[in-house]
Amino acid sequence: MQKLAIPESVLMSVEKPERYIGHEFNSVIKDKSKISVRFAMCFPDVYEIGMSHLGIAILYDMFNSFEDTWCERVYSPWPDMDKIMREKKIPLFGLESQEPIKNFDFLGITIQYEMVYTNILQVLDLSGIPLLAKERTWDDPIVIGGGPCTSNPEPLADFFDMFYIGEGETRYRELLDIYKRSRADGDSREEFLHKAATIPGMYVPSMLDVVYKEDGTIDKFVPKFPDVPKKVLKEIVKDLDNTYYPEKPVVPFIKVTQDRMVLEIQRGCIRGCRFCQAGQIYKPVRERSVEYLLDKASKILKNTGHEEITLSSLSSSDYTHLDELLNQLIEECNDKKVNIALPSLRIDRFSLDVMDKIQDIKKSSLTFAPEAGSQRMRDIICKGLTEEDIINGATMAFKGGWTKVKLYFMLGLPFETEEDIKGIADLSNLIAATFYDTVPKEERVNGHVQIVTSTSFFIPKPFTAFQWASMNTADEFIDKAEHTKRYIMGELNQKHIKYNWHEADVSMLEGVFARGDRKLSKVLLNAYKKGCIFDAWSEFYKNDLWLKAFEEENVSMEFYTTRERPDDEVFPWDFIDCGVTRAYLLREWHRARNGEVTPNCRRQCSFCGSARFDCGICINR
Amino acid sequence: MKLRIKFAKRGVVKYIGHLDLMRYFQKAFRRTDIKVKYSGGFSPHMIMSFAQALGVGVESEGEYFDVEVEDGQDVSLMVQKLNEQMVEGISVKEITVLPEKAGNAMASVAASLYEIDFYEGENPISEGIIEKYNALDTLSFTKKTKSGESTFNIKDFVYSIEYISNGIRFTCDSSSSGNLKPKFLVDSLIRLGGKDPEAYPFHILRHELYLRKADGELAPLNYVE
Repeated sequence: MQKLAIPESVLMSVEKPERYIGHEFNSVIKDKSKISVRFAMCFPDVYEIGMSHLGIAILYDMFNSFEDTWCERVYSPWPDMDKIMREKKIPLFGLESQEPIKNFDFLGITIQYEMVYTNILQVLDLSGIPLLAKERTWDDPIVIGGGPCTSNPEPLADFFDMFYIGEGETRYRELLDIYKRSRADGDSREEFLHKAATIPGMYVPSMLDVVYKEDGTIDKFVPKFPDVPKKVLKEIVKDLDNTYYPEKPVVPFIKVTQDRMVLEIQRGCIRGCRFCQAGQIYKPVRERSVEYLLDKASKILKNTGHEEITLSSLSSSDYTHLDELLNQLIEECNDKKVNIALPSLRIDRFSLDVMDKIQDIKKSSLTFAPEAGSQRMRDIICKGLTEEDIINGATMAFKGGWTKVKLYFMLGLPFETEEDIKGIADLSNLIAATFYDTVPKEERVNGHVQIVTSTSFFIPKPFTAFQWASMNTADEFIDKAEHTKRYIMGELNQKHIKYNWHEADVSMLEGVFARGDRKLSKVLLNAYKKGCIFDAWSEFYKNDLWLKAFEEENVSMEFYTTRERPDDEVFPWDFIDCGVTRAYLLREWHRARNGEVTPNCRRQCSFCGSARFDCGICINR
Repeated sequence: MKLRIKFAKRGVVKYIGHLDLMRYFQKAFRRTDIKVKYSGGFSPHMIMSFAQALGVGVESEGEYFDVEVEDGQDVSLMVQKLNEQMVEGISVKEITVLPEKAGNAMASVAASLYEIDFYEGENPISEGIIEKYNALDTLSFTKKTKSGESTFNIKDFVYSIEYISNGIRFTCDSSSSGNLKPKFLVDSLIRLGGKDPEAYPFHILRHELYLRKADGELAPLNYVE
C-alpha cells in the first residue's frame, strides 16, 4: 500500500493536493535498507515553480545515479497547507518516501532569488530543524545551500551549515564520501564541517569570522582554522558534454510553469552587461555539442512524452551552432509533433526565419530587451544593442506579420538622467511609428500595433560592475515610473503603448539582501516570526512587517541600498572568488562612468580572470 | 481505428484531477510507439475523449476513454506497451476496437456500479435500513443548485442496492441527463437511519461504467453488440 504523509481529510481540503503526493512518472524510489545517504533537495517555492527548475533536475539525477544515495524532492507547502501542517503538527516530508525531512542526512536548498529567503526558514521550521545552524545536532540533517544567491550567502549565514559555491555537478561525491567517513568515525558535527570546509567550493560560515569596522563595513575575514581557505573559488563544469544531464526527468501530474523539456545548450554568456550577475558568475561561456544535445533531446522526449522543447541559455543567439542544431531539431520534432520554444533570442533576419519555421501560425508577441532608453545609457550598461538593431528587427518582424512587441527597460541605472528616462518613451513611440511606416494600411492584421513597455527597478548585484553603485530609494523609483508614464502619454502613438512597472517596495528588500551581510540574518528571522513567507508572491508580501523587523533589529536598509561604495570597500562576498576578478569589475565600473563599451568575449578577451578555469571560450575563441 | 480503453485508478493517484489525468494519458501515449491521430487546425491535439470525469478522491476499477489511432497497429500489444508507461495505481485493463458506427464513450454512459467503504468505525447503513429503503415509494433529496434548491426522488435514479459489511454497493444512473452523485444516496440512507452523515467519512470506489444494450439491459462500457 502506498503511503502519504498528509491525511486524506487534509488533502481533500487544500488547493491542488497533487503538490504533495509524489509518485510522478520517473520519480525515483529506492530500497532504503541499501542506502547510506538520504538527500532532500529543496526548491523553497511552490511545487509548480520548483518542478520547472533544470538545476534541481540535474542534481536529482546525479544524486540518484549514486548507488548509496537516495535523493528526494521537497518544495514549500502553499500557505493553505502550511497552516494545516502547523496546526496538526505534520512534519515536512520528502515527496518520494513521504518521510520526515528531519530524518535525512542532508537538506540541500537551492537559492534562486532573494525573495525566497523567508521560505527557507519555513522549510526548516516545518521540518522541525532548528532555524539557527549553531543549535543543530546530529539529529538534524546538514543544511547546505546552492544556486546563484550563494554568490553572496551572507544574509543567510546563520541558517546554513554550509554552502556550495558554483556548479553542483563537480564536488558532491567528495562531500558525501567525507560525510560517510565522518559518521563512521564518530566525528562531531563540527569536526565534519571542518573537514567539509577544506573541499574546494565549500563554504562553512561557522568556520569564517567576519570582523567589522566601526562604520559597519567589513574590516577582514578570519578563518577559524589554518586549513580553512581564506577564499572559496567557485566550482565549474569544464566539459558540458561530459557530465550529468537527466535523461528521465520527473513528469509532474499538474501543469507546472515549465511544462516541457529543457535543453540547456550552453552555460555562461559572452556579453558583459554591467548590471547582469548571471553574465559574470557563470563565466566562461561553455557550449554543448550539437550531437550531445540531439541525443539528449531524443531520449528525453521518449522518456517523458513532453510536447515541447525549450532551448535554455542566457543568450541563445550567441550559441555558435544554433542554425545546425535548430535544423536538426525541427526535423526530429515535426515528426513527433513537438513544438520548439526559443527564448532569449536576438531579433534579426535569422531568428525571424527560425520563428517562422518553429512557431504555429498565430504570431505571438516579439520581445526586445533594450534595458535602457538612450544609446548613452546602453553604452553605460554595456548592452550591445543599438537603436538601429531594434528598428531593423522590428521592421522585419512587422513585415513578417507580427503586430505585438514587448519592450523591457530598467529605471534607476547608475548615472541616469531625465533624458534617459524620456528615451524609454521615445523608443517605444519610434517602434510604433515603424509599424505604420512599414505596413500599408490594407495589410495591417489587427489594424494597429500593440506595444507593451515594462520597466523594472535596477538592483545592484554582487560580482557585477555595478556592485559599487548606489540604488535609488523607493520614492525615487515611483517618481521615475511616473515620469516614464507621463512621457509615454505625451507620445504621438501613446494610444498603442501600454506601460507596466514593478513594485518598488519589494525591489528595495531585494536590494538589501542582494548586497547584505550577516547582520541581516536577525532581520530575516524577525520578519519570518512576524509571518512573512512567500515574499515573491505579491498577494503574500507584507511590507509593513518587514519595515518593522528592520526597525526592531536596528538595521538600516539604506546602508545596503542607497550608499555608494568607495572603490576599496571590502564587500561581504569578497571571500568568494567567482572567477572574474575584483580588478576587472572595478575596471568595468570606471569604464561605465565614462560610457565606454567593452567588447564581448568572442570579439576580444577582457582579462576578467576566468581564463584560469582553462575551458570554454577562454581556450576556444 | 477507434479504441475504447478501460483503466483503473487506485491509491494515491485518486487525487489527480480530470484534466491532469487526460494530460497524463497523452504523455503516456507519446512515450510509446502507438500512433494516436491528431485533430487538424491551429493547435493540433490528440483525438481522445473520456467517458466521464471521476471526482478527485474517488478510485475506480472501471474508467474508459476513446482514442483514435492510425490503422494497422497491433492492438494486442497495446495494453502491455501502455502499462509499461503507467505510474503505480493507474493500469490499463482492456483495449477494445470499436465498430465505425459506435457511439462515443461519453454519450454511451448509462450507469455506474459504486462501492462505498466507511473507513472510520462502523457502517451506519445497516441491512435494516436497506430493507426500509426498499419498502419506500419515494425518498426525497433536496440539492442546492445555482437557482436555489431542487427536490427529486432519489429512487428514480438508483437501480439496486446491496449491503456489504463495511458499507454498500449500488448501481445508479450515470447518464448525462440523470447522473446521480454517490454522496446524495449515501447521505440519504444515513439520515434514514437517524444518523448524521458528517460523522461517517467514506471512500468511493467505482467498479464499472455501463452502457445500455439494444435490449435495454446494462453492459460494461466496452461491450460491442
